[in-house]
Amino acid sequence: MGTVTSTTRRRFLVATIAASGAAASGLNLALISNASAWAEATDDASSDTAISLARLARLYYPHDKVADEVYLQTVDSILSAAASDPQLQEFLDDAYAALDAAGDQPFATLDPASQLAAMTKLQNEPFFTAIKVQLLLRFYVNRDVWKAINYPGSSVEHGGYVDRGFNDIDWLPEDGR
Amino acid sequence: MSKQFELNDASVVVVIGSGAGGGTVANELAQKGVDVVCLEAGKRLALSDVVNDPGVMLQKLGWNDPRKGTPVTTCKTVGGTTMRWSGITPRIQAHEFKALSTYGQMQDTTLIDWPITLEELEPYYDKAENKMGVTGTHGIPASAETNNYKLLKAGAKKIGYKEYTSTRTAINSVARDGRAACRQIGFCHSGCAIGAKWSTLYTEIPKAEGTGHFELRTEAMAVKLNHNDAGEVTGVIYADSDGNLHEQKARAVCVAGNVMETTRLLFNSTSNLFPDGLANSSGHLGRNYTRHLMLSTFSIMPGEVNFHRGTRQSGLLFDEQYHKPERGFNGGYLIETVATDPMTVAWAVGGWGESAADYLENYTKLGGLWVTGEDPPQASNRITLDDDERDQYGLPVPTLHYEFHENSLAMFEHAKTQCEALLASMGGQKPATAIDLGGGCHNMGVARMSADKKDGVTNRWGQAHDIPNLFVTDGSLFSTSAAANPTLTIVALAIRQADHIAARMKNREL
Repeated sequence: MGTVTSTTRRRFLVATIAASGAAASGLNLALISNASAWAEATDDASSDTAISLARLARLYYPHDKVADEVYLQTVDSILSAAASDPQLQEFLDDAYAALDAAGDQPFATLDPASQLAAMTKLQNEPFFTAIKVQLLLRFYVNRDVWKAINYPGSSVEHGGYVDRGFNDIDWLPEDGR
Repeated sequence: MSKQFELNDASVVVVIGSGAGGGTVANELAQKGVDVVCLEAGKRLALSDVVNDPGVMLQKLGWNDPRKGTPVTTCKTVGGTTMRWSGITPRIQAHEFKALSTYGQMQDTTLIDWPITLEELEPYYDKAENKMGVTGTHGIPASAETNNYKLLKAGAKKIGYKEYTSTRTAINSVARDGRAACRQIGFCHSGCAIGAKWSTLYTEIPKAEGTGHFELRTEAMAVKLNHNDAGEVTGVIYADSDGNLHEQKARAVCVAGNVMETTRLLFNSTSNLFPDGLANSSGHLGRNYTRHLMLSTFSIMPGEVNFHRGTRQSGLLFDEQYHKPERGFNGGYLIETVATDPMTVAWAVGGWGESAADYLENYTKLGGLWVTGEDPPQASNRITLDDDERDQYGLPVPTLHYEFHENSLAMFEHAKTQCEALLASMGGQKPATAIDLGGGCHNMGVARMSADKKDGVTNRWGQAHDIPNLFVTDGSLFSTSAAANPTLTIVALAIRQADHIAARMKNREL
C-alpha cells in the first residue's frame, strides 16, 4: 500500500463518526453500541480514531459477551504503540484509506455485509494482518475477554487444579465412566 | 554460602550462561571441586516472581534485546530456558545419532553423523534423568493423566497407535529432591510457581553454591573472549549491570548462551589469529541452525477438555518417531499434548471474524496436540552479525536466517493429517493446524560436534576443534536435531563434558 495523505485519513474518521449513530442503532453486528457515550467521555481527536478502530476490532473478533469498553481499551493500547512506531502508524493509515476505497461509499457507512466484504477483499494486505496481530496480542490477554470465553486465568492462588478437575473428563468413549 | 573469586584468578573455569547446559556443567564441575565462575546476563528471580500468566512471564524471562530475522524465543534470566520449557524429556534414538548413515545424502542439507553414539551417551542420559527427576525413570511414578492426555490416549488407541505414555516429563509426580509434587497449575511452561518442574534456578545453581567452589554473577553479559598467542582462551570480557567492562581470567571457558548468544560471542571474539570468528576454521560457526518441525493442532471436541487445567505437555506418543521413508520423508516426529492460552490459540487458529471468535468461544472444549520432528541441517540456515545495528552493550545485533527444508514440509503434511485424525476420532471438529508457532525455542546446531574438524566447530566432547580450552555446552552442539525435545540431551552432554574437563584438568592437560 502506498502512503496515505492525512486528508484521506481524516475522511475515514469523519465518515465513521458521522455514521456512528446509524451504524450503532440498526446494524446486526452493532460495532459499537454506545459510540456516542464514548464520544462524550473522550472528545479529543484521538478518541475519534479510537472509536473507529474499536468498531473495526469488533469486526475482527466479534464476541457478544465482550463489552465495547474492552475493544476500546485494546485499540487505545495499539494507538499508544503507534505513536512511537511509524511502521505501525503507516499500517493504520493504509487500513483507513484502503477500507474507505474498498466499497462504493466510506467504510463506516457500509452495511455489515458490505463491511465484511470489504475486509475479505483486503485480508491479504500486509496492514490487515499487522492490525490483526496487534489486536490478538492485546485483546486475548484481557481478563474480561478471558472471562467471556470461560478461561479463569491464574490458578496458583487456588492451589492449581490437582483437586479441581485436571482429570475430570467424562465423555471419552473409552474412559469407562 | 557463595564463594567469590578474583577477576585475575586464572585458575577458574568460566561458564557463560546458567541454563540447562551452563547451570549443569557448572554444578557438575563444582561438585568435583573445580572452581567455577558463572556469568549470567539476566537477573536472579525467586519462585515468588513466577506468576501464572504466559504473557507476563515472557516479558520477565525472555531475551528481549534487539534481534533480527526469524524470531527465536530464548531467556535472559538465571536458569535460562529451564525457566520456560514444558519438561518433556525423551531420549534421542540410536539411528538419529547416525543421521547421514541412516538417511543418506539429502539434497541441500549438511547432514552428518554425530561423533558419539546412543550407547556412549546412555550412562549420561541415566544421570540426567535422575538429576532432573524424569517420570518413569529411577522408580519415579508416571505423571498424573490430565484431561488432554486422556484425550490423546483415547484417540491414539482409536486410530491404532500403541506407544503412548504419561511419563518422560521432568516435573515431580511425587515430592523429590527437596522439591514439591506437581499441583497441576497449568501454563507452567512459563515458569513453575512451586518448583515442581526442574529448573537450574533452584537445583543446580544453589547446589553449586553449596560446594564453596562456585560463584554466580548476574547481569553479567559476556561480550568477548580473549586469547593468547598460542591460541588458548585466557579470559572473558563482560559488561556488568552499569555497562562497565571487566575481564575474568579463565583456565577454560564453557559457552552456553543458547544459539544466538553463543554464535555472537564467538564471532565477536574475532582476532588476527582467528580472522573468521573464534573456533571457526571450518566456516561452520553460526551455520546448520535447526529448530525442529513444530506444529500445533487444535480441534473443538464434543465435551469439555479444559486443557488449561494441568501441565501443558503431560504425555507423548512415540509411534511416528521412527525412520520410515515410505511416509515420504526422512526421520520422524513425536506427538505430544499441548495447551495454550487464549492469545496463542487465536494466533494458531488464524483467521478473523465470526469463525475466529467462535473458535475462542469454545476454548474449554479444545483438544490440543503438538509435534516436534527432525529438521535437517542446512548451511544457509544461519546466524550472522549485523554491523550496522548495535544493542545496548554496543554489540552487533544477531540476525537469524531460517527456511524450512522440503523434508520438514513433507513431514508437516503427514503430522497434520495424523494429529487431525487423532482428534477427529474422538469427535473433534474444525481442526486447525499451524506450523512453527511463534519463535523457535528448540535451537540447535550452530557450533555442532563433528568427527572431522572440517564438518563442525566442536569435537565429541563439545571442545572447540581449534581451541583446546574452549567448550560449547548448549544446544549449539547438536550435530543434527533428531526429533526429541532437546533439554535432556543438553543436560546429558553437559554432565559428560564436566567429566571430561575434570579428568583433563587432573592430568594437567587443561
